[in-house]
Amino acid sequence: MKKYLPSFISGFGAGVLHIVPVAKSLACCLIVPLASFTALILDRRANPTVEKISMKKGALVGLFTGLYAALFGTVFDLFITLVTKNNDIVAMMPELQKMISAFPLSDAMRTEVLNLFESVRNDIIQYGFSPLYTFSIIINNTVVNSIVGTLGGLIGAQIINQRLNNRNEY
Amino acid sequence: MWTAGIFYSCWLDLFNFLIYGYPIVKNTYSLVCHQDPAKLINFSCGNSFVCARCLGIYTGLLINSFLHIFHEIKLKKDFRLVLLATVPMFVDVVSVAAGIYDYSKTIAFITGLLFGSILFLYLYNGLQNLIIEIFKR
Repeated sequence: MKKYLPSFISGFGAGVLHIVPVAKSLACCLIVPLASFTALILDRRANPTVEKISMKKGALVGLFTGLYAALFGTVFDLFITLVTKNNDIVAMMPELQKMISAFPLSDAMRTEVLNLFESVRNDIIQYGFSPLYTFSIIINNTVVNSIVGTLGGLIGAQIINQRLNNRNEY
Repeated sequence: MWTAGIFYSCWLDLFNFLIYGYPIVKNTYSLVCHQDPAKLINFSCGNSFVCARCLGIYTGLLINSFLHIFHEIKLKKDFRLVLLATVPMFVDVVSVAAGIYDYSKTIAFITGLLFGSILFLYLYNGLQNLIIEIFKR
């Protein structure tokens, strides 16, 4: 467990920041990569060494950070949706309806698309939960955060190793 | 593909069936960008799915990856390079947040582009070393 603690802490932080609008607007797309970088630094503090970080370790720490961020991000998102009975999908509906009406779609397709989106929206407004929405955010968060986290881990490991190089030169 | 997805609204004109995936794809990009409507890039076919700065970062990554096919740029063993690329973006974010000047999509895009271009060097080097480490075993 100790091995995954830095990823757990950083992933939790990233999951929280994902739902804080101000933090999200400042860190933007760098939340999860920065969390991976932080996890690597925490790991180094916990296990002090002068050796360089292997790319495999960087990628693994990043991957776990991304997965934890996805887990906490999903749980927080679902919880907030359940409590407030509102989320991005509900907010997006008027724009979506306008868009669908403007598109040159066949009547059958337009009705089908609108019914599908309406059912998701109604589920969220009524119960604060939609199976389709839940499924989509679980897949989205897991795939996107694990990829972004792994890439962040790779880049973070390079930066830490280069800093080590610079220190050794002076 | 990732950069192409940013312009999903424009692809809808060509492939109508993509409308089914619109909320899911928009939600996917919301994981990597705040999608503040005032900071999105507007096209005649609709808005981009990420803000000007994120679009700059992804464009920088994409352009540098294309350039890399023709000419490999070696990453210098100096971590100050990434600091240099981060400073303009950081200064812009802080200045806008502090109200020193108003948000400019052009500045955000350019600072993002610079950061993304440098980030690619680290990413490419990291992936290259990871592959070497895996196949060494």
